[in-house]
Formats: sequence, structure tokens, C-alpha cells
Amino acid sequence: MASVSLSEAEKVYIVHGVQEDLRVDGRGCEDYRCVEVETDVVSNTSGSARVKLGHTDILVGVKAEMGTPKLEKPNEGYLEFFVDCSANATPEFEGRGGDDLGTEIANTLYRIFNNKSSIDLKSLCISPREHCWVLYVDVLLLECGGNLFDAISVAVKAALFNTRIPRVRVLEDEEGSKDIELSDDPYDCIRLSVENVPCIVTLCKIGYRHVVDATLQEEACSLASLLVSVTSKGVVTCMRKVGKGSLDPESIFEMMETGKRVGKVLHTSLQSVLHKEESLGPKRQKVGFLG
Amino acid sequence: MLKSKTFLKKTRAGGVMKIVREHYLRDDIGCGAPGCAACGGAHEGPALEPQPQDPASSLCPRPHYLLPDTNVLLHQIVSAWRPGTWASVASSLRLPGSLETYVEQEQGENANDRNDRAIRVAAKWYNEHLKNVSAENQLQVIFITNDRKNKEKAVEEGIPAFTCEEYVKSLTANPELIDRLACLSDEGNEIESGKVIFTEHLPLSKLQQGIKSGTYLQGTFRASRENYLEATVWIHGDSEENKEIIIQGLKHLNRAIHEDIVAVELFPKSQWVAPSSVVLHDEGLNEDDVEKEEEKEQMLKTAVSEKMLKPTGRVVGIIKRNWRPYCGMLSKSGIKESRRHLFTPADKRIPRIRIETRQASTLEGRRIIVAIDGWPRNSRYPNGHFVKNLGDVGEKETETEVLLLEHDVPHQPFSQAVLSFLPKMPWSITERDMKNREDLRHLCVCSVDPPGCTDIDDALHCRELENGNLEVGVHIADVSHFIRPGNALDQESARRGTTVYLCEKRIDMVPELLSSNLCSLRSNVDRLAFSCIWEMNHNAEILNTRFTKSVINSKASLTYAEAQMRIDSAAMNDDITTSLRGLNKLAKILKKRRIEKGALTLSSPEVRFHMDSETHDPIDLQTKELRETNSMVEEFMLLANISVAKKIHEEFSEHALLRKHPAPPPSNYEILVKAAKSKNLEIKTDTAKSLADSLDRAESPTFPYLNTLLRILATRCMMQAVYFCSGMDNDFHHYGLASPIYTHFTSPIRRYADIIVHRLLAVAIGADCTYPELTDKHKLADICKNLNFRHKMAQYAQRASVAFHTQLFFKSKGIVSEEAYILFVRKNAIVVLIPKYGLEGTVFFEEKDKPKPRLVYDDEIPSLKVEDTVFHIFDKVKVKIMLDSSNLQHQKIRMSLVEPQIPGISISTDNSNMDPKEPERKKMKLKK
Repeated sequence: MASVSLSEAEKVYIVHGVQEDLRVDGRGCEDYRCVEVETDVVSNTSGSARVKLGHTDILVGVKAEMGTPKLEKPNEGYLEFFVDCSANATPEFEGRGGDDLGTEIANTLYRIFNNKSSIDLKSLCISPREHCWVLYVDVLLLECGGNLFDAISVAVKAALFNTRIPRVRVLEDEEGSKDIELSDDPYDCIRLSVENVPCIVTLCKIGYRHVVDATLQEEACSLASLLVSVTSKGVVTCMRKVGKGSLDPESIFEMMETGKRVGKVLHTSLQSVLHKEESLGPKRQKVGFLG
Repeated sequence: MLKSKTFLKKTRAGGVMKIVREHYLRDDIGCGAPGCAACGGAHEGPALEPQPQDPASSLCPRPHYLLPDTNVLLHQIVSAWRPGTWASVASSLRLPGSLETYVEQEQGENANDRNDRAIRVAAKWYNEHLKNVSAENQLQVIFITNDRKNKEKAVEEGIPAFTCEEYVKSLTANPELIDRLACLSDEGNEIESGKVIFTEHLPLSKLQQGIKSGTYLQGTFRASRENYLEATVWIHGDSEENKEIIIQGLKHLNRAIHEDIVAVELFPKSQWVAPSSVVLHDEGLNEDDVEKEEEKEQMLKTAVSEKMLKPTGRVVGIIKRNWRPYCGMLSKSGIKESRRHLFTPADKRIPRIRIETRQASTLEGRRIIVAIDGWPRNSRYPNGHFVKNLGDVGEKETETEVLLLEHDVPHQPFSQAVLSFLPKMPWSITERDMKNREDLRHLCVCSVDPPGCTDIDDALHCRELENGNLEVGVHIADVSHFIRPGNALDQESARRGTTVYLCEKRIDMVPELLSSNLCSLRSNVDRLAFSCIWEMNHNAEILNTRFTKSVINSKASLTYAEAQMRIDSAAMNDDITTSLRGLNKLAKILKKRRIEKGALTLSSPEVRFHMDSETHDPIDLQTKELRETNSMVEEFMLLANISVAKKIHEEFSEHALLRKHPAPPPSNYEILVKAAKSKNLEIKTDTAKSLADSLDRAESPTFPYLNTLLRILATRCMMQAVYFCSGMDNDFHHYGLASPIYTHFTSPIRRYADIIVHRLLAVAIGADCTYPELTDKHKLADICKNLNFRHKMAQYAQRASVAFHTQLFFKSKGIVSEEAYILFVRKNAIVVLIPKYGLEGTVFFEEKDKPKPRLVYDDEIPSLKVEDTVFHIFDKVKVKIMLDSSNLQHQKIRMSLVEPQIPGISISTDNSNMDPKEPERKKMKLKK
């Protein structure tokens, strides 16, 4: 995992600061850093988003491809996650160095989406047992500046919001063979409802308190953190403990409450930003990667 | 400026792919109007006319440009394009890509709507732009579209817009243009009005599925010449059974037209029929005689044995239309003032076409070209429109044009692109040309050709070497030096394949500069050649063969007669003459040896017309005379071809272009053997050698012409010689020449095959570099296919031209009686040959309005007994020849019997006595 090494004195400084609700960059314990979101940044994907959270920089692309539904869920499409930890982010990721982290993040994403409410998988079905849309969600880590999970979950949600799946019709002829017809209007497409797509809020236990959106330095001071995935309505869909330290049940409860509270705010602000961006229409000047 | 365009595409695997393309919009495309300051010199390519010619449209009296939309252009360009009338904005098609007029697809708008809008934006831009350019001129751009909605929107946006029809009708100065409009009436409306005759064609996707699954078969539709209700479909692919499917009846033919690629459904065996032997021509003028058609269809169904039944089916859909403009004549409608007329194509395999025209009376009696627009389900005939008036029937120019068109001979003048690859004049041989080239200018080379020949592609020389042997050289024009592989000139000559010689016209394969000048091995000029040089002993045995590119300087271009004269006259002893004598001596030995090996000498009556130098009408006709020198040149050409064939096959065993002549199946000879037998002669056909020998022996002291007749018959038994690629075949034998291998090397000016052979040979001897297509046997096989087709067509065109001139000749000559020999005996007719004119014709014994005579046909002998007279093959008869103009479209020579006299059949002598006097008088006139 991407990390920094800190001297004992620095750690004490940070821990004491948190104790006083004073963080090194001046935030309070429940404050996020400034989040930058831009969607539709990669034109040859079905949907894409780039999220910058402090120094953390994430690019997510969603590609819709035709596939066959899974046997156990014949009338649903499905999502596939892949996380690529680019060596751009940190030299540690070179070669296969980032694989473990990538798998860990991808598994976490599978878990938070593994429920009926987060996304309507039935709408991804084209014809039961035969054709469905498979959404390949590719996450690219461009830079690690702490709090990867939160940033990735926000980026995934934004990318899914941006995703446009071409509308297809299944034509059946007398002999029963099916043919897929594609609409020739590029604007004729399906949008996904991202209302219930959860975001992850990571709470880092530092000293006696916990903080959200920890920087790399703060993460180095924490022995254990709790990953809570929250929907916009404040429902916790999944929870996971990360780190080698232990948490006592009481503080877990406290952290969950904080997570729900912070998560709801996060969702509302993300939703409003996405809608605002959309209202600018296709003529919007894109910031892209050079901005 | 950069825009990106995104679209979705279905992949072959069934997936959906999103494709993003970058568009770089140009800001340097000018409007094309000359003198436009705003655009400056930004415009390249064709410019607009500075002041559009006023086509006097009543709708828009001001001078204007037209901006037709894509559909209008596509449908009308063939018909409506006439320089000057449509001052079309050619450059406008490019406009939608430029900066000001780029249009992005909007939500809820499909691709067509976007295009429509783009054209409207372009039209608007043009109108505003031109206003700025020249306010005083008040130039306007008129938008032409046939799309009703598009027009409405354009008018809303303030763009002057009309439909094509509206606009053309307003052109008061050019009323004939209306006829040329492709008729595109809404099919939907007509269905309601008319009775549906045909079943609907299945959509392509279904056809493809059906073909894949085997329910339908794909093939080429070939209509029958004799019966308009019958056709065969040649199934593509290699399967042995059901190669040929019969389609009978109008409904089953289902609007397929000759040469279309169609999908057919095969009927169960119980519904199979036999090909009918009835001759049926579509004569109905009325549209509503569908019931009658059914009666006629009943006629086709003859009771036949099981064996005769052939696979039968019906057309279910059209995969590809192969329509082309058709030549023919108008059959004027009986109703006065009617604008709808039927057009009868010259090719009987093409159905009649309904066209709309106001100039029926002017078009009557003329050859015209008509294009098919469509064939709705409720119509008995396809709809089409008038394209071009070729001229009066019987006019020489018109008829030549017709026969070139009908035989698909490319005869347009060479395009600028093709001509651009010609060497610049004045041309001279440079140092670079001399690389890999031997200087043979010192040799005493001469050419021998028919009189009036301007494309001389071969020259010869012969000299004695110091060691007593003879050196013989065949020098062929080095056309491949001028025609480089792959360029427009090469492509065009490959397409034409061969030069076509008509009676009074030559359709060149390569531009005249090459054919009659730079490549033609004329005397006393330096010319590039490809030489094949042998060292021979006096017994004409080849000791050594070598090929080289060379430069020659022919010392004389002789005609056959001149060459013969030099050889014969003892007084002449110059270099050329000794050279000719040497060649002649060797040629005789070569010929003898060749004939010993079993080469056939066949004959066909070839005629030559003597043309009137002013009117170019044929005055007299005579069969070609053959001299010793003809065969001298021929002998060395054969030798060169064989030598080259060996060489290129040695070097390129997989992709040498060769020529083969398959041995005919024994059944082909039946007629010849029977015919000879009737004259107590025996013809053996087991090998070429025995055939040649038995033909030589077949002489009759009382009937000297018999041998020629037999040879003519033998020619008819032969197969067609074809080009092929050595890697694609393993039978190389040339039957007629009795050579194990053969190719064409000696006439590159008039045959494309020779050019390829030249290239192969040049690579083989290291005189030229190769190129990828040359060693691609599939490409080569394609070339061969085209060449074989073109050669066949050229031959047909040639024959048609001879036939037409023969008609002209007899038209001027009136009715004549001549002696003739019977070539074939048919069930109801005899085919005769008139040696004097080399003319062949059929004498029918059954005539429409006359009572049928008693005919007894014996297949075994073969003979035909008419009343009491028996006709055998080779019998001498006397026939009367006249021109039958009862069918204007297909004028033909008609022959009727004079001798032997059969009451009621042969023409009585009194009549024939009177008639010949007439032509006699005419002849006198000509002599004066």
C-alpha cells in the first residue's frame, strides 16, 4: 500500500493535533479535502470520470459490452471491476507491485455493489439468458495522496452517472434466430440510475478520535480504520476494517454514525455537482488532463 | 479546428463498438466562385462558372447556381447531366466539412436529418456568401431536393428551394430535359391503384440467411433469347447438382432482369419442368393482359419424359441488380398524345421498358438508350427513362455505337488521367532507355503487314552468321516500356483487354500516340523492341534462343503483297529481299514440321469490304486472299510465342500467363464425320494429327470446294482457346497448333495479354523489375478472365459489324441470286454458305402466313426432305439474297431458295429474272 514513512515526532504532532480537532492542513475531523470531479473525459468509453481529492487522482472508465448473463441471474447484467495501480502513482507499483492493492480495491468494490439496491442490474438485461450488458469498470490510479477508497468510490459513481448505454432491439425472425439491431441515433441510449450507488467513507482511528479523508501522513499514524459504504439515504451497505490494529465495539458504533452523517453530505454535494455539470450540455469546455 | 465524431457500430461478432473519430475542420476551402475575394485562391479543383449560363427557368429568372442534394444527384446525374444546363455547384459537396458549415448531430435527429440540415446550412451560407461577393450580379443558389420535408424547412429558413421536377419543368428552353428525369414516383401510391402482379422480393438479410441455411440458392439470372417467359439461373459455387435452374413464367421470374444476381427457391421434384422449345416474343402492348400471359405459360408446359425434367424454381429476391443503360427502339403507344411508351431493347433478353416522353414522334425510328429506374410490383414492365438518342436506325455511326454498347466494348475516348501517362512529345530514346537494352539498329529488320496497317507490332530479320548458321530475329514493339504497371494507362488497357477491329473502325486498346506512333515499328525510325533471336541451321532447327530488349530501326514496312513480290522477282537482291527469302525458306520448313506434328489448318470464310473512299459505304465484298508471306510471318510469330511460353513457364511455373486450346469432346465432331460420310469420305478425329491428315486426304475431283467446306465445318467443332494462369491449371496443351505450351507475345499493341507476357519475360531476363501483382496468381487469373471475356466480345462485335456491313452492301445491291452450298441441315431450314461473299444464311421452309410444306428430317444422314426434294449437306443450291427490313430493329439478310425448284417454296424464276436486272443497273452506276 502506498505509504509514507514519518518520524516519531511528526506522528506525535499529528496525533496531538487530531486530539484537539486540529489537522495539519487546517481541517476539522469530519471535513473532506476539496474534491474535483469531471465526467466524460475519455471519449471512447461509455462513461468516464476523473476525481481529484487532494493529491489523490483517480480516473474511471466504464465500458459497456454485450455479453451473456450469469447462469444464476439469467435476467440481469453485471459489473466487472478492474483496478490498475499505475506506476505513475508511486514507484512501488512498478511491475506487479500494485497488483495486491488493485485486487483489494476491486474486491471491495465487488462487495459494495453486491446487492440489489445499489444499481438496477435488470435494466442491463437485453434478452434473458442470451444477451445482457456487461459494464467493465476500469479504475486507474494516477496518484496516491491518501484515502484511495473514498476517491475511487466517488469516481465510480460519477462515471456510472455519466454512462450511456446504446439502446438495442432484439429482432426475432421466424426461424427463431435473433439479431441485434442498433439504433442509429447516438442520442438514443439508456442512462443508469445512480441514486442508490453507495460511496465509501473511510474513518481512520487516530489516537482516541477518528478522522475522515485522511492524508497519507495521517494514515501512517493510524493503526486501524473502518471502511463504511453509505448510500445517499444514509443506509450502510457494507463495512470493512482495514489495518492491523483493533477497534473496540463502542468506537466502531461511533465511527459508523460519523460515516453515515458524512456520507449523506458527500452524496448530496456530489449529486449537485454532477447535475450542474450535465446542465452545461455537450458544448461544455472540457478541462481534461491538461487543465 | 478539431471536432470529434462519435458513433456506434455493430461488430461482426455481434457486439457494439463505440468509435471515435477526430475531425479536423478545414478553414481553407473556398466557395469556388472565381473572383471571390473572401476566399482568395483557397479553392482548388473545378471552379464554378463565373456567370452561370441562364437556363431560362420561369421559377427563378435570375442567374443562379444549383445545389442539388445527394439523392437528386445520385438519381439524376446519369440522366440529367448535360454540360451547360446544370451549372452545378460541384464543390458544394465538400462544404459540409468546412468550418462555417459544419453541423453536429443533435439530440433526436437521425443521420439523414443531419445531412439534410447540413445541406441547408451550406445553401444558406452560399447565398449569403455570394451576396457579399457580387451584389450587383445577384447570384443565387437554388437548392434542389426531392424530399418534401427538407424543402419545406429550407423555404422556412429563407432558402430558395424546389424539387427537381418543379425546377426542370420550369426550364422552358429545354423541354426535352423532362424526359430524362428518372421517374421516382412514390411506390406506395401505385400499389393502391394497380393490381399486384408480382410477389414481394425478400429483404437482403433474409436472403443471406436463406442462402446460408441452404433454403435459397444464389446465382446469375440469364434470360432466354427465344422465350421471354423462361430463364435459367446459374448457381454460384462448386456444387455439382442443381448447377442450372430453370425459371418459368412471369410470376416466377419475378422482375429479375438478365445478369442480375438473384436468390432462387428450388421447387420440389414434382413441379420440375423441361426447358420448352417454343419461341415466344413479348408482343403484348397492353398492360392488363396478365390473364393472357397465363395462357401462354400453359403453352410452355409440354408433356415430356421424366428424364428431360430439370431443376425448377422461382426467384425470391434480388441480391444485386446489374442494370445498365440499354440500347433499343421506341414502340410508340397507340394512344394519341400519350406520353407513356414502351421501349423495346435490341437485346431480346431484356424486357420491354416503360418510359415517359413527350418527344415520342422524334424518337420513333431512332436507336435510343434507356435506363431502368425500378420495377414496381404492380407493373408488367419495368419503369425507365430516356437517356440518349443515338441516331437513326441504319445509320452507320448509330449502328456502330449500338453494337459497341451491346457488346460491352469500352470505346469512350481515353480520359485525361490515362493520357497523362503517355510519354511527352517529341519523344526520343534517352541514355536511360538504353540500359539493359541491346542496340540492334544495324540489323536489316523489316515488317510485313496487311495494307493500311498503322499499328505494326512485329518486325523480322534474318542473316547468315560467320559459322554458316542463320540468325533469325522477331522484334516485337516494347509496349511494356511505355505502360508501367498499376497506373491509369495500364488499368485502362487492362480493362479494354484488346483492340477491336470493326469493318471501318478500330477501337484501340492503348492511346493512338502509342499504337500508331511510338510503339508501331515503322520504317526508318528508332523504336524500342523486345527481341527474340534464334540461331538456326539451314534445316530450321533451333540451336540457341535468346531474348533481349533492344532498339531497332526497321528498314522497310511492307505489305504481304510487296513482300511476296520481292521474294518472287529474281531481279531484286538487296539485303531486305535476301533476308525475306531466308525467312521464307525457314518458314516453309517450320510449317511442314508443324503440320507433321498434327497442327490443324482450318479455314473460315473471311471477307473484306471494299469501301467507297468518300461515303465509307461498302462497294464490294471479297474473301481474303492468303499469300505465302502471310504464313511466313505467322510461322515466326508462332515460333516466338512458343519460345517465350517455354521461357516464362520455366521461370514462373506458378504464374505464367499462357494460352491453351482444349481438345474438343468427340461428340463435337459428329456433324463433321456424318457430313463427310455422305460424300463417301472418312474423317478420323481421334487425334489432331489424324484429323489434319484425313482433312488433307478429303478431296473430291469433281467438287474442289468440298475440302474448304469440310475445313469450315471442322472449325465449328473446335473449342474456344483461352488465356489462363499456369498455377491454376495443369492442362497446357494447344490443340489447334499441336504445341504443348503456347502464349501470346507478339501483339502487345492490340492485346493486353501480351503486355503481361512481356513483363514476365522482362523480369525473367532481368531487364525490368517485378511488381507484387505480377506474381499473384489470383490477380492473374482475374486478368485472364477479363481478357477471355473481352476477346469473346470483341469477336462478337466484329461479326456483328461484318453482318451490318453485309446488310448495307446488299441494301445497295438490291436482290441478287447466288450459288451456295448447304452447310447444315436443320429440322425446318437449311444453312447455306455463299462462297462468293463468305456469307452464311438460313433458308427457312416454314413461313408464318404460308401453308407448311411437308418436311421430313433425317438426323442420321443428315438430310431434309421438302415435299419431293431432298437436301443433303454440301449440296449446291441457288439462293436469292435480299434485305429484310420488316423488323427495323433487327434488319437481317434473308435468303430464299431459287434452285432446285420446289413448287410453292422456291421463288419462281420469272420473278427472279426481273429482280436481278435492277441491281445490274446499280452496278453499272457504281462502275461509272
